[in-house]
Amino acid sequence: MKKILNDPADYVDEMLEGMVAAHPETYAQPVRRVIARAAGAKKGKVGIVTGGGSGHLPIFTGYVGTGLLDACAIGDVFASPSAEQMAEAIRLADGGAGVLRLYGNYGGDVMNFDMAGEMAEMEHDIRTTTVLLTDDVVSAPKEEAEKRRGVAGMVYAFKIAGAAAERGDDLDEVTRIAQKTADACRSIGMALTPCTIPQAGKPTFEIGETEMEMGMGIHGEPGIWRDAIKPADEIAEEMLDRLLADQPLAKGDRISILVNSLGATPAEELYILYRHARKKLDALGVEIVMPLVGRYATSMEMTGATITVIKLDEELESLLKAPADCAFWRV
Amino acid sequence: MIDSSAIAKALSGIAAHTATASEELCSADGALGDGDLGITVSKGFAEAAGAELPNDVGIALLTVAKAFQRVSSSSYGTLLATGFMAAAKLEKGKTGIAPEDIPGLVAAARDAMMARGKGNLGDKSVLDSLDAVAEALRDTPRGDMIDTAITAAAESIERFRDQPSKLGRARMFGEKSVGLADPGQLAFLRILEGLNGT
Repeated sequence: MKKILNDPADYVDEMLEGMVAAHPETYAQPVRRVIARAAGAKKGKVGIVTGGGSGHLPIFTGYVGTGLLDACAIGDVFASPSAEQMAEAIRLADGGAGVLRLYGNYGGDVMNFDMAGEMAEMEHDIRTTTVLLTDDVVSAPKEEAEKRRGVAGMVYAFKIAGAAAERGDDLDEVTRIAQKTADACRSIGMALTPCTIPQAGKPTFEIGETEMEMGMGIHGEPGIWRDAIKPADEIAEEMLDRLLADQPLAKGDRISILVNSLGATPAEELYILYRHARKKLDALGVEIVMPLVGRYATSMEMTGATITVIKLDEELESLLKAPADCAFWRV
Repeated sequence: MIDSSAIAKALSGIAAHTATASEELCSADGALGDGDLGITVSKGFAEAAGAELPNDVGIALLTVAKAFQRVSSSSYGTLLATGFMAAAKLEKGKTGIAPEDIPGLVAAARDAMMARGKGNLGDKSVLDSLDAVAEALRDTPRGDMIDTAITAAAESIERFRDQPSKLGRARMFGEKSVGLADPGQLAFLRILEGLNGT
């Protein structure tokens, strides 16, 4: 293992300490492993919380900020935070108008967040709702779409639901918009090399020097095929084909697209992927709004990329374009 | 009425008894799972026994659930925490648990744990023990409740011993689980035994 760290056991806590120290105007850590807005909960505003394992920055913690999330519970690398931490995040996000739990569909996270909601309701009388991201098209067939995992689509959900909450929508409305966003997102990933969990010390999977895996998940979950690496245009072509097969697009449709690095893949290569994706979507007559290219949802130093497409309507588009601010993203 | 100090005393009794049984539970679990069940249960009750409990018995039970969650992220720990939460909801705002409420609390815990663990009765799991105890307690006079519960939990183990597991990690062992006591059921029996004398 080759990593910049002190004791692997301190990896997450030292990362959070550094992040808050670097951006004190945005983040605070009022409770261990719970990041909240530095300014605290906004009175009368619906709170939005998320949570999940470390190792995905800027997801999840990074997106706490104005027009985005209010608080986030963070676990060990790739491990769920506890229900108690999540309940603390809910309490810290509560401005008296209820709290939406918005996160990815992973078994441990769902179980703990459900309990956290019960705890917050019982102890602090906070009303909560849940929306789960299930955007990874490879993780289950369309007929079982509710079993799919949540990946980079979370970025759009945080942004759009965050804007709705910031403008003063009530809990039911923010929840409706978050669900609509989740339903409109489709993602797919591919990987070239694995990452290493600090406390495990070994790569999450093995892959040949000249191989790629199509459809791989953000924690190294198995994909669809593994073979010799293909040219970028063919990779982009297949990824988009699979997204379009799941959610067809027609001439005149408006979308946003996120070409995301899993960590080690450089911006240069993301732009090479974007170039081809753009051509393909242009040929279909699809209008691209606010394309995002960069590191948004990573898997530490994994090499690879994900592509997310969100189909927009007027409501989602205006919320996507609304102002937002965190250390990783400004709109 | 069972007030918060009685709950605290019961937790200490369970913590002590499950610590003694920890090795037995780990080896029972090792035959069908990852072998840490004794640690999960004894650590959970030790943490709960060390917690300061408020007078509101509902919030006291919530504190117990949280203690479990904190020290043990295993599925058995989460299930027990879920059971305590279900009981906590029903008792919120009270300063004591009425003995006649107990069968209902056990049944509520069973239902919440079935929903969260996505398990069914007859799967050979702790859910069957809870069900057996809830049923047995329904018409039991208050002085005999602990004995009745222990008997029901012990009978449940024997009733399922010769069936294959159909839930959780033990399910992967299929026919190999036939003839073995379900570790979760065994842990529940040891928990109830810890109540004896408190």
